[in-house]
Amino acid sequence: MEFGFTEAHEKLRKEVHDFFMNELPSDHYPQSGVRSSEEHEKFQAEFVKKAARKGYTSAGWPKKYGGLGFTSIEQGIVSEQMSYWGMVWPGALGFSLVAPVILTAGTDEQKERFVSPIARGESICFECFTEPNAGSDEANVQMRAVEDGDHYILNGQKTFISGGQKPDWLYTLVRTSETIPPHRGLSIFMVPGDAEGVSYRPLPTMGGSRQNEIFYDNVRVPRENLIGEKDRGFYLAMTTFEFERAAVSPDARTGLRRLVEFCRKEKKNGRPLIEDPHVRKMLARMAMHQQVMWLLGWYAAWRRTAREKMGPLSYDLTMFMRKQWAPTSANLLMNTLGMYGQLEPDSRHAKYNGAVGRSWEASRMIHAAGTPEILQVVIANRGLGLPRVPRKFNAMINEALSEG
Amino acid sequence: MDFSLKEEQEMLKTMARDFLEKECPEAVVRDTIRRTEGYSTELWRKIADLGWMGITFPEEYGGMGASLIDLAVLYEEMGRAMYVSPHLSTVVLCGNTVLAAGSKEQKDEILPGVVNGETILALALTEPESAWDGTAWTPEGVAVKATADGDDYVIDGVKLFVHDAHVADRILCVARTKDGGAPEDGVTLFLVDAESPGITCNLLKTMSGNHKQSEVVFDKVRVPAKNIIGELNGGWAPLKRSMQIGAVMLCAEMVGAGQKILELTVDYARTRIQFDMPIGIHQHVQAHCVQLVADVDSSRWVTYLAAWKLDEDMDADFDVAVAKALAGEANESACWRSHQVFAGVGSTEALGTLPLYTRFGNVDRFYLGDPEHCMGIIAGELESLPEPEKPKGKPLGLWDVSKQGLPTWDIWKEYYEKAG
Repeated sequence: MEFGFTEAHEKLRKEVHDFFMNELPSDHYPQSGVRSSEEHEKFQAEFVKKAARKGYTSAGWPKKYGGLGFTSIEQGIVSEQMSYWGMVWPGALGFSLVAPVILTAGTDEQKERFVSPIARGESICFECFTEPNAGSDEANVQMRAVEDGDHYILNGQKTFISGGQKPDWLYTLVRTSETIPPHRGLSIFMVPGDAEGVSYRPLPTMGGSRQNEIFYDNVRVPRENLIGEKDRGFYLAMTTFEFERAAVSPDARTGLRRLVEFCRKEKKNGRPLIEDPHVRKMLARMAMHQQVMWLLGWYAAWRRTAREKMGPLSYDLTMFMRKQWAPTSANLLMNTLGMYGQLEPDSRHAKYNGAVGRSWEASRMIHAAGTPEILQVVIANRGLGLPRVPRKFNAMINEALSEG
Repeated sequence: MDFSLKEEQEMLKTMARDFLEKECPEAVVRDTIRRTEGYSTELWRKIADLGWMGITFPEEYGGMGASLIDLAVLYEEMGRAMYVSPHLSTVVLCGNTVLAAGSKEQKDEILPGVVNGETILALALTEPESAWDGTAWTPEGVAVKATADGDDYVIDGVKLFVHDAHVADRILCVARTKDGGAPEDGVTLFLVDAESPGITCNLLKTMSGNHKQSEVVFDKVRVPAKNIIGELNGGWAPLKRSMQIGAVMLCAEMVGAGQKILELTVDYARTRIQFDMPIGIHQHVQAHCVQLVADVDSSRWVTYLAAWKLDEDMDADFDVAVAKALAGEANESACWRSHQVFAGVGSTEALGTLPLYTRFGNVDRFYLGDPEHCMGIIAGELESLPEPEKPKGKPLGLWDVSKQGLPTWDIWKEYYEKAG
């Protein structure tokens, strides 16, 4: 049991650290909840290509497909630096979700066609799972994919799909068979973002998070774009979620540094906030939590290296705990600003450019990629073996409920 | 980065668990509580023979020279089994201090008895005032005076919440020998013969029912100056480190207890039938169980991180404070939640260990730094946290929020038109 790093690790950390330090503009600020402009999107797209050239975005993949073949710990060092500098890649989903799944379940041709451009930062992917009636209940996907010769024809609607740039690929979960239970009839297709029949409607959400509705109207997709086996898509989706959770990096505590800096500079009643006992207690609590998140992030990374010996992780606390704590730092800032917190950036008297209100709004959005309630159920059922009613009884229960 | 135990540590864990499962079941714990010594002298002999006192002591004193991680593994098992003994007082708080700061003569005289279990030591630090006003674990709280008188010092005052004083052979008394400067400059450690005239131990009645903590009255007690451990006026530094190690061991104890509580609670949730179904089907019961896991796992890792940093002689003030605050709160939360799941069944005195875990947890939570005190330390450490590092590239002016008027969806004009 030890919590240090080798010399080679420290060398890698310095290299990645210096890359970000030299390449990021000195006025760079992490974008939580702040609506970004076209120039900002352009900067992000160019930056991610730079990072992709160094291999940082695809560090864990095999070298053959543009990765660096990094170990879990080495990947952790890269992602910890990303957390440290507040970088979130545009098209991050491509790196962290789509490509790893294709590397696991795709054909060699698919790996060439999809993974390599993602590695170069030249391919933006959207994860298109959620539908109006299929959010937490992912298996309830209704979008139909009907076989037609060499193609499938897709019809349906996706919603709450995150992403700001125009996508090159839509990693789409569709229903290829009507089955009971429903999850056995799903498949995953890579649909071109500009395919005939695909249309987008932006879905503005709280805190400026960029989401979309996507409509598929008789979209023809070649058979070669089916990832893995037909009707086995749900299991791939579950793998996707595993990668999603694995993509959470060890918390590098930059958020806490920013908060402490804020509390050192901001004064109330003539004294810096950091001298206020309530503020101190809140900061201490956050520091305690961040220590845990740092450790859990590294635990997850280390555990992946030990997977062969110890088997798969039966539950993962990292995302669940992060979401539990999400409102806290936002609340600290918001409570400090009081009535000033509600002011928009272009309002008179706005403090801190109105950014606090936006990030507070954004902190309400902890439902993507698994609500804390769902994550709790997953940990309880799969991790602890606590019981649940099998799905096949649910319709019956629903009927009984409406009978009163 | 390695979260696994070494083979020898796994063996120690298994051996300790098996031993305590056999020798320290609930019945023994309840019997121990009733004894005036507050611990089982037979069991103490047995663990001495197993070498549990000397785990971190050098081989020249009969120890194993192992790490604090090894000791934490042992303490986890002791916490799991609710094994109460003078181990923390004797080995960690006092023995370790003598090892770190004692002279060669003192070490040769005292440590063999610590390692072979023949000597019991107790730390007398906290006082009625300091225990009340939040200075229990700081040098400011040391007010009991020791006044020089020839070759001796005379200690006069009252110490409160002293663990194992009533069974100790010697008491390490923390006294003030100098006033007027910085608080830690003037704190001296005296190893006092427990039979000295003027010492009275009055056992305190606590909720754990255990005969463990005393009020110790020092009524003009004479101590030879040669019984000072470490430097005159310089006792705080070695004591602080021993207390940090002690705090981490208490964390490990709470982790071990929490793990057992978790297992008992999940098992109950799976098997207890009410309304024709296991109660674990209810999401609120599941929430309690999941929080238990979150509490125990998070306190486990912060504890071992702190132990590792102490082993590596790194500055661990922040990490120890985080571990103690977190583990303390986690333990309280774990006990609370298990009581909610067990409900009536968990409250009975005659059956079940939950009331015991809850009460013992209460002791561990406050000893050597309660969450309130530790969060004060953490806040102090945060004051010197560096600013976020600024990158060095050319500024682009893209992050000024006030300039960002254009909503992002307008850049999608072509898609807008398609959707209609």
